Amino acid sequence: MIALRTLCPLLVVAGLALIPAFTSANTTLNFLVFALIVALSAQGWNILAGYGGQFSFGHAAFFGLGAYGTALAQARFGINPWVAFAAGIGLAALAGTVIGYLSFRAGLRGSYFTLVTLAFAEVFRILFNAASFTGGAAGVLVKLDVRPENFQFASRSVFYWVVLGIVALVLLLTMRLERSRFGAWLIAIRENEAAAKALGVDVLMVKLQAIALSAAITGAAGGLYVQYFLYLDANIGFGPWISVETLMAAIIGGAGTALGPVLGALALHGLGQLTKGIAGGTPGIDLVLFGALLILAVAFMRDGIIGRLRRLLVWGRR
Amino acid sequence: MTKLINRRTLLAGSTMVATTVAMPGILRAAEPPTVKVGVIQPVTGALAYDGQQGQIGAEAAIKAINDAGGIKSLGGAKIEMVFGDARSTPEGGTAEVERMAAAEVSAIVGGFASPICLAASQAASRYDLPYLVDVGVADSIITRGLKNTFRFGPGFGIVAQTGLDNLVKINDAAGKPAKTVVIVHEDGLFGAGLAKLLQAELPKRGFEILDTIAHPTPSRDMSNVALQIKAKNPDLVIPSSYYGEMVLLMRTLQQQHIKPKGIYCILNGAASNFRFVKEFPDAAQYLMDCNHWHDPRKPVAEALRKTVEASGKFWTYNIPMNYSSMVILADAIERAGSTDRLKIIEALNSSTFAGHIMPYGPTKFVGGQNQGAAPVNTQVQAGDIKVIYPTDFADAKVVYPYPA
Repeated sequence: MIALRTLCPLLVVAGLALIPAFTSANTTLNFLVFALIVALSAQGWNILAGYGGQFSFGHAAFFGLGAYGTALAQARFGINPWVAFAAGIGLAALAGTVIGYLSFRAGLRGSYFTLVTLAFAEVFRILFNAASFTGGAAGVLVKLDVRPENFQFASRSVFYWVVLGIVALVLLLTMRLERSRFGAWLIAIRENEAAAKALGVDVLMVKLQAIALSAAITGAAGGLYVQYFLYLDANIGFGPWISVETLMAAIIGGAGTALGPVLGALALHGLGQLTKGIAGGTPGIDLVLFGALLILAVAFMRDGIIGRLRRLLVWGRR
Repeated sequence: MTKLINRRTLLAGSTMVATTVAMPGILRAAEPPTVKVGVIQPVTGALAYDGQQGQIGAEAAIKAINDAGGIKSLGGAKIEMVFGDARSTPEGGTAEVERMAAAEVSAIVGGFASPICLAASQAASRYDLPYLVDVGVADSIITRGLKNTFRFGPGFGIVAQTGLDNLVKINDAAGKPAKTVVIVHEDGLFGAGLAKLLQAELPKRGFEILDTIAHPTPSRDMSNVALQIKAKNPDLVIPSSYYGEMVLLMRTLQQQHIKPKGIYCILNGAASNFRFVKEFPDAAQYLMDCNHWHDPRKPVAEALRKTVEASGKFWTYNIPMNYSSMVILADAIERAGSTDRLKIIEALNSSTFAGHIMPYGPTKFVGGQNQGAAPVNTQVQAGDIKVIYPTDFADAKVVYPYPA
């Protein structure tokens, strides 16, 4: 089982990495890039919520800060996009720490924490929509200048590999975390915060580290989004859509598992693509079909794709 | 079931299948090849209504072009539409551009909203794929230096400037009845941007701004805004909101018996929309707007409007703008005599096409922007939307200040 656990993610990443070798269709690559950006965002959420049990409904705040950090650093200050990307991640991590400090110190747990994160994301959306520094409602445009040192690539496959590389890195990080002391503390907090505290776990510190890491990863997803689409406004950066996409990918895939968010994002977007192909002509029918399939998935796969696969494996061995 | 299939039926069946499979090939060989043109509109999501209206315009133009014999320089090749739903998001638009590029379209028309146009035209530029923006007014769409991007309609800067100039002219012509103004705007890209411009420009033109009221989109209640207007009692109200909020505001003003001397809009979501005019004729009466509108003196435009209305749909500016963008593109393909993307871009750059149905005059693209493009002023009069300014295109006289 342990061997399978490490083997599976490796196989998935290797399989994904080979896709550009088989298809040069930009339609497929474009779809995969977007799905992986969502996957990365979900991986971030998964660390705080999947392992730490702190359900955030406002990861849009970190996605948006990562994206705005990346975009504004280059558009306003002329900083190199790679450095800007790092700055965006840093900004998201910082915001995560501050939001975490404020809400965890206040002892907000469960649905209260969920609500407060939702509120933070909304506040950011309104602020960034109004401030003139952020381009206000007109948003920020990143100048189209296709050069590798500019974090813009002529070929879609290069960008795809960059995104995949970051996803793989986070996957490794998560797998290490699962077996680390920090991971054990985090899971202990998820299972029973009071008991963890009684056993000497520094609950506030662990939660703060988790939210900072989580925010940094989701912020990276935001940064990648803006480098890919080169346009950002407050509704894209901080809109509820990304919080929902993030949640759904992680939960459908299997929260609290390393590979879950990646599989979830690919499955969700793959399903969306599939229904689009099936429905064809009438606009909106694919979304109806997608919704129906989603309901079925949630009804019959309560612990996500990974949970279902595990149970199948156990059942097969019986 | 198995009983029914014997050798004979199988033979007959397979012959039939073989014939149907082979036949289209024979038929196709006799027809000239088609020119694939992509149409991107947000037909699901928040902008679905506008997207559907835009689609009507593009389809009507393609039908008209094909009925008139297609692209003659390509042996009467018909235009084949490859339709894509942008789902009201930039990434949705980008995904459709990728699909269309793979489907080998020669050009793309549409986008509607500025964020979609920005992302989609950028994705298209990777393939040197000509992209004709139908409505998107953000000035940044054409200031990025993309060689493939063209906009037939006016940008935000031109519309706002014209709107302000015309307001002064209309007010002056009526003996300057309005001196005080309240600005109402939605807090998004278009409303906030316009409000900022109005705040800077109106005082220079002799108007006093009493208040500027922002509201989010969507808003479910405009009573507060209406009461604030009532308290300030301005001569003129200038609202910049999308459809739902504007309708709500106008109905609330009517219910509260708030009657300023005029309500003047720039690029308003409802003021030049027949849905509003037909559903709430009293609330819409005498509303003025500076917006995109078709040229009412052109018979093709009026005929198209009749056809659309006969099919039970409302007439909105999206229809003539998409129609016009499509016929301009067809003209460019005609002159290029090729489906080559770069040749079409070249042909668009040298376009002097005047056969469109907007009040613009001959087309001339400079840096992608059609120089002739300008908005007109409309006013709701007795359940119809009339052009009141500039007088060259007008089909009615302005009613201002509003009769008591």
